[in-house]
Amino acid sequence: MFFLGVDIGSLYTKLVVINPENEIVHSDLFRTMARNRQKRDEIINNIYSKYKIGYTCSTGYGRKLLKSADVIKTELYCASAGVTQIARIDKTIIDIGGEDIKLLTSNSNGKVIDFYMNSKCAAGTGAFITEVAERAELDVLEMSKLAANSKSDKELNSFCTVFAKTEIMKWIFDETSIEDLAKGIYISIANRIQKIPADSSLPVFLIGGVAFYHPYLKNIIEDRFNVEVTIPKNPQLINAFGAACIAQKHFNL
Amino acid sequence: MYEIKTSKLLKQVMADYFSATKNKSRPLAWCTSVGPAELLRSFGFEVYFPENHGALLGATRKAMDTIPVASKIGYPSDICSYLTADIGSYIRKSTPLTKHYGLEAPPKPDLIVYNTNQCREVQDWFTFFGNEYNCPVLGIVPPRHMDEVKKEDIDNVSKQFRSLIPECERISGNKFNIDKFRETLKLSKEATGLWKKTLDTSKHSPAPISFFDATIHMGPIVVLRGTEIAKEYYRVLLAELEHNVKNKQGFVANESSRIYWEGMPIWGRLRYLSDLFMQHNSAVVASTYCNSWIFDAFDERHPFESSAFAYTTIFINRSEKAKLEILKNLIDEFRIDGMIFHEAKTCFNNSNSRFGMPARLKEETGIETLIIEADLCDLRFFSEEQSTIKIETLLEQISS
Repeated sequence: MFFLGVDIGSLYTKLVVINPENEIVHSDLFRTMARNRQKRDEIINNIYSKYKIGYTCSTGYGRKLLKSADVIKTELYCASAGVTQIARIDKTIIDIGGEDIKLLTSNSNGKVIDFYMNSKCAAGTGAFITEVAERAELDVLEMSKLAANSKSDKELNSFCTVFAKTEIMKWIFDETSIEDLAKGIYISIANRIQKIPADSSLPVFLIGGVAFYHPYLKNIIEDRFNVEVTIPKNPQLINAFGAACIAQKHFNL
Repeated sequence: MYEIKTSKLLKQVMADYFSATKNKSRPLAWCTSVGPAELLRSFGFEVYFPENHGALLGATRKAMDTIPVASKIGYPSDICSYLTADIGSYIRKSTPLTKHYGLEAPPKPDLIVYNTNQCREVQDWFTFFGNEYNCPVLGIVPPRHMDEVKKEDIDNVSKQFRSLIPECERISGNKFNIDKFRETLKLSKEATGLWKKTLDTSKHSPAPISFFDATIHMGPIVVLRGTEIAKEYYRVLLAELEHNVKNKQGFVANESSRIYWEGMPIWGRLRYLSDLFMQHNSAVVASTYCNSWIFDAFDERHPFESSAFAYTTIFINRSEKAKLEILKNLIDEFRIDGMIFHEAKTCFNNSNSRFGMPARLKEETGIETLIIEADLCDLRFFSEEQSTIKIETLLEQISS
């Protein structure tokens, strides 16, 4: 018997199939393609024909779209379930996705104790990085390497993504190096996170697509917050993995 | 499907109320929703409440068209959206009162009276209309954010109540009659007592009236308190709800959780939010907002002092310390599992999440708390998907 977790995010859909030992036996990641449900259904149907799926749990912005879901859970609970499977401790989880930042405190059993999520503004999210990097003519896939070679502490002050783009133009006019530009963008994200109430004594797990493509954020958060930060393997799949774990838990209830 | 049958009567009561404001033979006063309505009624004024219009603009989502109009003349969209929606509606000469109650426009005031017990914004809002209509504007300015209300505070505010009398006499053409004031206050107290009992029916499980329904059924206690009509309305509503309690009928048959809504309603999304909680069998059973029109302290033997006391001790006018105690009692009485704090972008005064209250309350009571960022009227401040995820996560927290 296997269990399927489906995380339909704003940019990517992630699938994870686990066995009864909570081991990942299959994973998949593809563009969410909101208008092309047929493609998504084909991929999922292939999984159903290949694996004997007991229960399916869906999560993410599109969690209510998956008709075959037996359980629907929010990303926050799936993040907690996924990371708890890796580390059965009290912890802070920071999930930076395409359009949101979620920060949650989760206990050793995976219960969400506290959580925060941006709902007014998408500054500091994946979309923020993409927008500002584009203006700075930086390759988003190279940013992490570039930032690692910067010694600058310069940061973007603008709260608004659009104004941050204007601000970074000034940096370019001032001939700021591409390394410092990359790091400055990351620091502004860390500053956003810094304002969120959280227990600073807990270890931090950084997950989501941004953690995958921008691993240098871990160093910046460690430096700024003086905490131990872990990016788990395949951080963008953690919510789908957590969903699969929840599917199994509900199947066994 | 569960429904409150008295809703039909509500429509009639509100239609009659607005119809009465068309009667030009009686003087008409505008008053803040927690202003000295009883005193005004004792002079024979019909009383109109601009905040009620603000709520209607929000609920019909007309506010989205009228707020930008007010912004253009210097009332920006991050100040009170009741104010901006109402002023914009006036400038645009467009009101949902036309469609719903057959009024071309809000009734013209002969007198405008505010009480800043809830916020200073009402003063500027009402002054705008005083200038527009060339109409006298009177105000009561009580001490704010009180731990406790002392005798000197009551003396101060009751003196301000008394100071309204000469202008009320001049404009209404009627001499002040203390017996009429006593009688109005007594009716108001009786209606608010029935309103309290109405809300208290949801201490039972399954609860017979939700916060969302209560925001609609509170119409008469806001606009008609001090009249027999309001009293009679709540007698009928209460009887129906008590009958439902007796028959174990409620809006959620098997409650998975009981939620308290703190702060203003999100008027334009009442249905959406109501459905969202229902999908999860979660019952939103109590609120600060609906409880704000319970005036236990009214005492017709001391009409000025008790009015001053009742209107100065309202929740919104209390200190964080006093508010915390009030909320803790309500959590206990209504057996609350989680509290949603609506942080209204344009209503600083009625958003209680900004000075650490959710965390303090969670620590002291053990219930889950959540802050939702939105607004009473301006839906540009409401992110539906993000708010939904937050609410669903709160409900998962409670059930796990």
